[in-house]
Formats: sequence, C-alpha cells, structure tokens
Amino acid sequence: MRYFLWFLVTLNLFAVDATLKIEKDVESRAKMAVVDGSSAAGSIGDKFFNTLISDLTISGHFLPDSTHHLGSTESGLIDPMLKSKEYVLKYTLSQANGLTATVKLYRGTDASLLATKEYNIATVEKYPFLAHKIVSELNDILKYPEVNWLNRYVIFSRYTTAKRSVIVVADYTMQYQKIVIQGGLNLFPKWADQQQNSFYYTSFNGAIPTLYRLNIYDGSRSAIVTSQGMLVCSDVSQDGSKLLLTMAPNAQPDVFEMSVSSKSPRQITTFTGIDVGGKYMGGDQSIVFVSNRMGYANIFKQSLFGNSVSQVVFHGRDNNAVDAHGNKVVYSSKESQSSFGSGNFNLYLTDSSGSDTRPLTTSGVNQFPRFSTNGNAILYTKLLGNKSSVGYINLESKQSLLFPLGGKVQSIDW
Amino acid sequence: MRNGLIVFSTIAVLLLSGCSQKKPNANVSNAGDVVSIDESSVNGAGGMSGGMNGSSDGMKSVFFDLGDYSISSGMQNVISFDADVLKGKLSGGKVKLEGNCDEFGTDEYNYALGLKRAKAVQDGLQAQGVNASQIVLVSFGESNPQCSEATDSCYAQNRRVDLHLMR
Repeated sequence: MRYFLWFLVTLNLFAVDATLKIEKDVESRAKMAVVDGSSAAGSIGDKFFNTLISDLTISGHFLPDSTHHLGSTESGLIDPMLKSKEYVLKYTLSQANGLTATVKLYRGTDASLLATKEYNIATVEKYPFLAHKIVSELNDILKYPEVNWLNRYVIFSRYTTAKRSVIVVADYTMQYQKIVIQGGLNLFPKWADQQQNSFYYTSFNGAIPTLYRLNIYDGSRSAIVTSQGMLVCSDVSQDGSKLLLTMAPNAQPDVFEMSVSSKSPRQITTFTGIDVGGKYMGGDQSIVFVSNRMGYANIFKQSLFGNSVSQVVFHGRDNNAVDAHGNKVVYSSKESQSSFGSGNFNLYLTDSSGSDTRPLTTSGVNQFPRFSTNGNAILYTKLLGNKSSVGYINLESKQSLLFPLGGKVQSIDW
Repeated sequence: MRNGLIVFSTIAVLLLSGCSQKKPNANVSNAGDVVSIDESSVNGAGGMSGGMNGSSDGMKSVFFDLGDYSISSGMQNVISFDADVLKGKLSGGKVKLEGNCDEFGTDEYNYALGLKRAKAVQDGLQAQGVNASQIVLVSFGESNPQCSEATDSCYAQNRRVDLHLMR
C-alpha cells in the first residue's frame, strides 16, 4: 500500500514536468505488457513490478501497461487481451540465493519467444538494481539506444543537523539507500571512476578541509589534498586520471586541475571574485564553470591550455550551477528577482557556444543538474512546495520522472 | 578437409546460437555490500562541538547583505571590537574565521561566498593589526544556520562570519 501511494505521488509529480516544451511522441514507443508469474515473492513483488514500469517508462522506448498482470510464465501462451501489445515481458521472482528473476520476452502478436534470461542479485534489499539490469538489457536485446545509466549508483550528501551530514548511495529511484558515511561534516561526494567503486568527498572534520577518496566496497580511504577555506572535487576526467577542484590556497576560490598521480594542483582560473564548479567539456580539453565576474553568478568557459574566458549563458541574473557533457551544457537559473523562497530555479539546456537554449523544467526550485555518463539523461533535484524530489529527464525521448527525496540535499552525483 | 571442417563447425555454432534464445545467467554488477562508516565520535566540523552557532571567546559575528561579501559600514565597528579582543587573547595562538551563508544558492557557489566573507573579515582584522599568519579561514556554506525560520530576519542571521579561538 505504501509503495502504491509512492507511485501515485510519482505520477502526480511527473505531471508537473509533463508540461515541458519537450513533448513525447507517444506513437514512437513500443507498447508492452508485464506479466508477473511469481507465486510467493513477498512484499517485494509490487515494488519490483513498479520499478520495472518506471524503468521501461524512463527508458523512453516503451509504453508500458501499468496493470500488474498475473499469470504463468511457464506457458508460452499470450493472454488474448495482451495480443495488441508489441511485446510481453513475463517474469518470476524467487528469493533463493538472494533474489533471482527469470525473464522471458515475447512478441505480443504471434507469441514468439524473443529472449529468456535469468538474473540474480545476492542482496535482497538491492532488488531495484535487478529490475534496472533487466530493462537496460531489454533495450540492448531490442537494439534500442543504451540506457545503462539506469544501473548506476546515485551518491549524495544530506544535511542532518548544523555542521553534520550523511553521505548516501542509492539506486536512481531512491528505493535502495544506504548511508556510507554518517556523523561529522562530509560533503561534495563525486564518483572517482566509471565503475563507481570509489568516490571523492570533502571532510570538514579537521582544522582545514581535506579531500578523501573512499572505496565503497572495502572501505579503504586515502587523503588526497587539503586546502584552507574550501575544497571541492567538482569533476573527474573520463579516464579518472585528473580532477577539477575548487580550492582556495590563498583564501581565493578558483578552479584548479590536478593529476591524481602527482597530486600537484595547477591553477586554471585567476579571477579575484568567485570561480567554482569546473566541469570538463569537449573531450576534457576545456571547462565550463560558474563565476561572478559580471557581478552575478553566470556560466563561462575556458580552454585548459589558455587563459581566455568566454561567456556561455546570456540570460538570467543568477545561474549558479552547471554541468557539461561533450558540447552539451545544462545549468540552473533563477527565474525571478525575488530574494527569498518564492524564487524558482529552472534548468536550461544549451551548447558550449550558448546557442539552441531551451528550458527543461517549468516550476519549482530545480538544482544540481548532472548529465548521465552517455549524456542522454539529466539528474536533478526539485523542490516544489515542501516536497523534495530527485528527477530525471531523458533528453532523447523527452521523458521525465520524479521520485520523493527527503531532507536537504547538499550535493549529488551519479 | 580440415579447413572445411572448421568452416562447417563455425557455421553450426552460429546457427545453433541463433536458434537458441537461452542466455547464460547474469549477475547484477553493483550487487556487492556497501561499507558504512560511522564518524559520530568525530568532535564536529573543524574540531569544535557540532551545532555551535555564533562566535565564541567574547567575539562578535560579522553579518552581510544578501549575496554580498563586502563589509558594511555598520560592521566595521564589530571588526574593530573583535580585533581588540584578539589583541588581548590571541597571544601566539590562532583564530578561526568561519564563513556562513543563507540557504539560497547552490552547493559550491555558497561555499565560495562564505569563504569570501571570511576573507573580507580577515582583511579587516589585518587592517586593525591582527597578524594574518594567526588567522585560519574555512567556509561552512549553508551547513551551519543559526536560524531556520523562513523570514528575512532569520536568513540575515545566517549570512555571517563567526570567530573562534583555536585550541
């Protein structure tokens, strides 16, 4: 019941961003029914089914029937009512050796078996990852563009009390969450490698901020660098060998690049105001970053091999968060001059030259935009009224989804 | 003959794999147990007790306007007061300036804003004769609010620099 309510909330919130200018061509998506053949899947049954539906929806390639169909997966027969579906996905869940799903994919019209596969995950509470894996491979089997970002961990820091925080890893729907670090003030988590085995974060528990790298599986941790004032790992190069840091060795926040092997930071920006949030762009040859060099927070770019700085965004008076992938740039912009709570922040997508700009959200406070590893989706946080959510926008299919998220997120990555 | 057998075998394998729709079992890649580290015993950020708000050791906090990191004329007297306190108490020790912000703005930018505020207070203290080598700066961004109500006066209390002697 609780999960059902959660899903309704999701649908309701989803309706908010369904008014985006990016409308989905529903006809281009494949209709699919999902048939659950599990006899005793326990409380996970409904959650697992709903996770499959969410995954199929946000993939942008399917128009899933949200009805929780029950039926045998042993028989190759397709219920006549489901013959109109392009695909029928049948599965059974069993709690043996963790959680196992046996999956069969049929063509709805002629009941031909297209694929069958068995998936297992040892830790039952990580069941969302089982569903994500099934749907991402389903995309691959049917030759749709990959949606492997479904499988990735989301990592975020959340304030608990003053000067206290937790760092949490989660699946993209936030159904699986585990606190990795609790107690103290540990902020700005950033994945250190493509495999998501380790992440960087800043500890404020010593005399000055210290950047650590922590392996989430074996707990090994090493101090990387320290800086007076502030220290943030803003981005990691594609091969993981270099970091973009915001540091202030002389009490002046600027963007630095540091080789992980040499641990010797090289200063990139030199403005006397605020330069923060460097993100690699264009094959790691240049960066975008946030600066107040025009008297307000805005987005700029600079080559890593030169000092020339160019303005990227030409609208808004408070654009204080940015991310980049290739030549795509997403940023958060304050919509009104209101100083306080009523001011909305919306996300905009543009390119490295600031052209072809379009809004991605239309209401609420939308912040922390982060591209997926393939650049086809964007993660962000949304505050609408007193409800906070984590949201996803599939740029290819124009789909978006929101999932409830409690507490005040400090920073997020995936 | 041998080459023909290899070709035949390859074609047979390809045909069989094409006919068989059964794929091997797959384990989910990020299925391992994730560690959990408890730092609750840590004595709060910056080595001070967690939740400490405002300045200590007889010093006063310096407050700022929205989005600003310049010292207002009204706050110059506060810096003079703090400089006098430090001249009496600092001796060979150090003072920590903690920059803070209201909740508006996002992650990194807010921390930079807090740092610029701390730097502005450092410059003010230096001008009053406090040795820069005895000053340590850190920004806590919006992580250390003194007030959590949604009012202008409350937000104003959070845009500040706190001063503490380091022990």
